[in-house]
Amino acid sequence: MNITEHLQRSAALGMGIGMLLLLVLSSWMFRSEELDLGVQQRERSAVLQANALVLAVADTDAVATGARVRLMQQQNPQIESVVIIAGTQMLASTRAEDAAPRQLRREEKPLYDLSNLIRTARETNLGEEVVRKKTIQIDELPKGRLVVTLPYLSGGEYAGILQMQFLVAKAARESGSGYMSVLLLFAALLVGALLRLNAEKRFDPAKLLALAAFLLLALFYQQQGQERLERVMMQDNRAIAAQYLAAAEQYDRLGYLPLRRDVAAANLWDTDHYQRPRGIIAADGSVVAEGEAKQLAQRAGFMRPILWSIDLLAACVLLLFIYGYAARAYAAFRKHLDAYLYVAPAMIGMLVLVFFPFSYGITLAFTDTTLFNESLPFLDRLIGWGNFRTILGDFNIYQETADGFIWNYQNFYWTLMVTIIWTVTNVTVGVTVGFMLAMALNTEGLRGKAIYRVLLILPWAIPNYITALVWRGMFHPQFGVINQVLQMFGMEPVSWFDGVFSSFITGLATNGWLSFPFMMVVILGALQSIPKDMYEAAEVEGASRWQRLRYITLPLLKPTLIPAIVLSVVWTFNMFNIIFLVSGGEPAGANEILVTKAYKIAFEQYQYAYAAAYSTVIFMILLVYGFFQTRITKATESF
Amino acid sequence: MKQPLRIILVAGTLLMAGLFTAAQAAELVLWHAYRGAEKSAIEKVAKMYEAKMPGTKVATLAIPYDAYADKITASVPRGKGPDVFIYAQDRLGGWIESGKTVEPVGFFMDEATQKQFLPGMLDAMTYKGTVYGLPLNYKSITLIYNKALVKTPPRTSTELVKLAKSLTHADSGRYGLAYWYTNFYFHAALMNAYGGRVFDKDGKLVLNSKETVASIKQMMKWYKQDGIMPTEPSETLVSSMFNEGKVAMVFNGPWFIGEISPSVDFGLAVLPVIDEAGKKPMRPWLTIEGAYVSASSKQKEAAYDFAKFLASEEAGLVLALEGRQLHTNAAIYKDARVSNDVVLKAFHEQLSSAEPMPNRAEMTMVWSPATTAMNKVVKGNATPEAAIKEASKAVQDSINALRKGR
Repeated sequence: MNITEHLQRSAALGMGIGMLLLLVLSSWMFRSEELDLGVQQRERSAVLQANALVLAVADTDAVATGARVRLMQQQNPQIESVVIIAGTQMLASTRAEDAAPRQLRREEKPLYDLSNLIRTARETNLGEEVVRKKTIQIDELPKGRLVVTLPYLSGGEYAGILQMQFLVAKAARESGSGYMSVLLLFAALLVGALLRLNAEKRFDPAKLLALAAFLLLALFYQQQGQERLERVMMQDNRAIAAQYLAAAEQYDRLGYLPLRRDVAAANLWDTDHYQRPRGIIAADGSVVAEGEAKQLAQRAGFMRPILWSIDLLAACVLLLFIYGYAARAYAAFRKHLDAYLYVAPAMIGMLVLVFFPFSYGITLAFTDTTLFNESLPFLDRLIGWGNFRTILGDFNIYQETADGFIWNYQNFYWTLMVTIIWTVTNVTVGVTVGFMLAMALNTEGLRGKAIYRVLLILPWAIPNYITALVWRGMFHPQFGVINQVLQMFGMEPVSWFDGVFSSFITGLATNGWLSFPFMMVVILGALQSIPKDMYEAAEVEGASRWQRLRYITLPLLKPTLIPAIVLSVVWTFNMFNIIFLVSGGEPAGANEILVTKAYKIAFEQYQYAYAAAYSTVIFMILLVYGFFQTRITKATESF
Repeated sequence: MKQPLRIILVAGTLLMAGLFTAAQAAELVLWHAYRGAEKSAIEKVAKMYEAKMPGTKVATLAIPYDAYADKITASVPRGKGPDVFIYAQDRLGGWIESGKTVEPVGFFMDEATQKQFLPGMLDAMTYKGTVYGLPLNYKSITLIYNKALVKTPPRTSTELVKLAKSLTHADSGRYGLAYWYTNFYFHAALMNAYGGRVFDKDGKLVLNSKETVASIKQMMKWYKQDGIMPTEPSETLVSSMFNEGKVAMVFNGPWFIGEISPSVDFGLAVLPVIDEAGKKPMRPWLTIEGAYVSASSKQKEAAYDFAKFLASEEAGLVLALEGRQLHTNAAIYKDARVSNDVVLKAFHEQLSSAEPMPNRAEMTMVWSPATTAMNKVVKGNATPEAAIKEASKAVQDSINALRKGR
């Protein structure tokens, strides 16, 4: 099969597989959105009833409360039961076997706990002036039953909880159109089969055409889906409005709650789970256009980035096919099947131990997860690029005050700068000291070479935690050995961890101590592999010591040294232990490097998502660096 | 051929029956982070409970302290882990906020149980009005002095300064008083004496107050003006100086007792009254360990019953006398063996002026900025007012990031 035929098949396959992927993912997305809307609609209609009942019994005595609750339950068949709990008391219940009012029984502890939970949620929202805890709790029971629990207020004060069990019928929905997907898939295959791809050209019109046709079909499909969702939402709003009006008239008739035919008044029945009015249905039962438009826009705003990512993914798959990568990968796979089999166990291990946590971290970076909201469902926490915008878009690096500039040590760019300076200085120190020691050890006829070598490698062999703590002790201003020595020579003691620079030096000294042995070993190995005759020849030609170093030693060290430096840069960039244990980022976090900062954000401030985004940024920096380093190492391979 | 088959059958049936009964017998799992004497004491108490409740098995598991909190955070919300676990109150708020970790036990707790505890103990187990655990033991700092240098411990700050000055010879590295005064945990005793608080009862941050500033100024007076304390204090510095006899008095907790060298004859006394703060006593923070019922326990009532036993007088005596813990059950301090024990008695006396450390999750955000502020003041890089204001702003920013609206 020649390349043209191959490509031809690839085009059709790519269009087909790409479109299939797109259809499966988008329709799955639409489907789950629709299910979500269905659940929301059921919950909304239950919340509406529950809110109404709570309002109707807010200012009544115990007897009237019981009577109202019972009457409403009898008149509305979808309400299966209602219980009101206050402290350890069951105030009212529509179930005869409950024999309310009475003390809660031991097995009814969950009710008591739930009542405390909701009280706390309400108090937290009021006390912190930020609404972050749901005051309405909804539990789904089998067979379409919902249990709604919300605060029971008496005279405006929290008095307990009201729990309602509902049987809400599933809303009838227009069924999705399956035939359209088939049609689109067919169209995509057709386009793929008709196009003649040119293998030689990078940008041949046929390839562009394939991509354009693909995207057009994709957008058309997704637009249809979005519009359908909008229709569903609008229908739902109208259904709720009708339910509201019917219920409100009923309460009005019974004289429990007056129906206020006032368009401007907030509708306190139709609320979200935080008991905030949704603002979609007015108090008179009409649909508020602005509120609905906002609701639709919010949903569309949530869907759009997800749909675009699906488009992007599917388009990438298509491009893989039409540029022939897929075909090549497949051929390679077929050819080296046994090789793939051998690496499979390792790959699975990597998948579980590396790629899963890694992708989890990246996903987390796109949420606003903190300690306080980690139990919320994932989609509620999704915020997109917000964390990255906060990290990278904060240019508040210094402030100008009367006393001059004040650096903002908490800023990302300050920390990045410190990290880069930290990395560069450390690697320089490590390489320079390592190189000098290696040269010294490489001296011919040096006595006791083995002993020196062992002694010099020792810093590397001691766990760096211990080294770090020892160095921290040595830098103690009053009792540390360094200041003692300074004082012996009549110098003033230095408070090492007070100044930005002196604190930096403590980390540098410790890490320099830890990193030179590695460099020394690497360089020593490389030095010993340089043939002696080169030096002899140079000496015969009259080359000076410096010339021998400059033109023989250094060029021949380069292939070993560069990978070692590259590695050392990555290690130092993320050298958590030394910063954390020696200076702890003192003073005031000025000497924090990116990793230690990420740690503090996650485990001292509990902003898990922000810390994940921080780590992702660190990863991106190292990725860019890694990209350039492979180019550099490739350049050295020619030696 | 028949015989072996029969044996296999019988053995199989027995095994099945054994497995079945094993699954039936309630086994309670207790996690703790104790070692040494504390570990053997808690194991003994578990055995006592087994003897008291026939048919109940208690399995205790000691977990290294460093990994302990993370292990609970990772396993309990996913339905794994122990039935009961012991931990200090500082992580309680965080576990409750993230949910599915600690079971509320207020519903189970009868009045007699509520009344058995020393004052303040149950407050540490209460988060936003709901009781989440049974307090077991407490730790706080107190005044520990070298009897060779100090005849009668000072009762007031004026006496303290006078005595300490007479014992301080900075040139030879001798000081009258040492404690980790830059660490906010240790400083809290002074802050509380002045009436400074970190959070008010609604959880609002009130760190930046004139009381807090005044308490820092008091500390600076001791350090700078009176010159009775060494620079750059740390846990190791304080203990090595005390053991070398270079410092006469320290403020430290029960964990310090084990570090005192046998050659030092030490005494304990209640922290002094601060004359400058209107004769109010220093009130150190209490770290209170509680027994919590795991939210994913399958046998919560049994677990609560066991936790209740751990907090009882019977268990408390063992934990106090053998585990050297300061148990929270008030009744044990009437026992002669406890009231004649110098160390237990002294810390129990300190309890009359002490208060539980906040158990809010936000507390973790306070340590680092507050300690930075203390360091800045001590090194003269900022006034107490400016340092506390800056720290308070940093903490408030972190809290706001956490308490995001929905």
